[in-house]
Amino acid sequence: MPSKSKPKLSRGVLDMKFMQRTKAKVDKETADEQSRALYSNEINEKMLNSNSNYIVEPSYSICAGLIDGRLSFRGMNPEIEQLMEQEQTEKQRLKKPEQPKEVSDQDMAKTYYANKAPALTSSMGKKFSTKKDLKRKQNGDSDNHPHKNHHKAQFRKPRPDDD
Amino acid sequence: MATSGTIVMPGERIASIEEVAKTKRVILGPGLRRVDDTVVASKAGPLRHKEPNTFWVDNYQRRYVPARGDLVLGIVRSKAGDLYRVDIGAPETASISYLAFESATKKNRPDLNPGDLIYARVLNASADIEPELVCVNSNGKRGKLGVLPDGFFFKCSLNLGRVLLRENCPILAAITRQLPYEIAVGVNGRIWVKAHSLRETVALAKAILALEQAGYAETDKVCDNLGDYLEA
Repeated sequence: MPSKSKPKLSRGVLDMKFMQRTKAKVDKETADEQSRALYSNEINEKMLNSNSNYIVEPSYSICAGLIDGRLSFRGMNPEIEQLMEQEQTEKQRLKKPEQPKEVSDQDMAKTYYANKAPALTSSMGKKFSTKKDLKRKQNGDSDNHPHKNHHKAQFRKPRPDDD
Repeated sequence: MATSGTIVMPGERIASIEEVAKTKRVILGPGLRRVDDTVVASKAGPLRHKEPNTFWVDNYQRRYVPARGDLVLGIVRSKAGDLYRVDIGAPETASISYLAFESATKKNRPDLNPGDLIYARVLNASADIEPELVCVNSNGKRGKLGVLPDGFFFKCSLNLGRVLLRENCPILAAITRQLPYEIAVGVNGRIWVKAHSLRETVALAKAILALEQAGYAETDKVCDNLGDYLEA
């Protein structure tokens, strides 16, 4: 009989340096499973179905959002200060994941369309055009060759007023 | 952090939290208990609220009650086989395994003696079993934890420890302007400080203890006068 259990990563793999986060996740999963199995006969129907809006948290540090208490200032302990700095940068990264935009989304879309998108839209447009459309277009094109009138796209010197 | 002015007494039913809990999840911190569908205070003190949904009672207390995840300062009391007994100011001594240190193995034990001061994290805290400490994170790295050599150690109320550990606390910044120092504050009301000279270290300890009676509102005033303690 084929086993139903999920494929597991071997210990050798999990001990590798780059697998640390996966290892933590796997450890948590197994611990959860064990505790569930351990208490499964103690948990009654009411416990499972009552959805309380209260979560009890006995730690002040978590409730009040206290910082780590090991601190060093003005080069007293460089090792600690380095860790503090790392934490600070990590926190800032989480706080504002995106930088302020220099170009608005609308401007970007406009410029993108003007510069690049025509080629893409026409090639994608071909997919959705019918044969009739194609024929009409060919006929129209044969009447007045618009491509011959077009100049090849060239670099244009920017005007001094656009940045 | 919003500091509401209401003072609650043990046994008091807190209707404001029940009101919030009707619409969203609420985190009840220390000093609050759920009794069926009512919330009751179990400690006396100002009721604190942190956005969006955390409530707790900030009571005055000197006895530490271990809670999982707390960072505490402990004094090694004795060695018992594979464990060290550590006094963290809780009703019971905590234990720490000799393997709960960075790069410790059965052969390579950490050099820890009775009387040593350690900064550790509470791994397990339950009313029925003794609390367990660790000096490494889940990746086996030491980080900021471990033995604290030299320096000066003193006890204070749990509240003072929490006041110092608030985010953007003005006190530590104010002291930084006066002198370079390093500090370890445990939420168990124990503080370890170290500065370049003994004189500075003692002044630092005095300056911090002067804040013992100050509330959140008065800390700014005391910070302005910190220089006096440091020069004395």
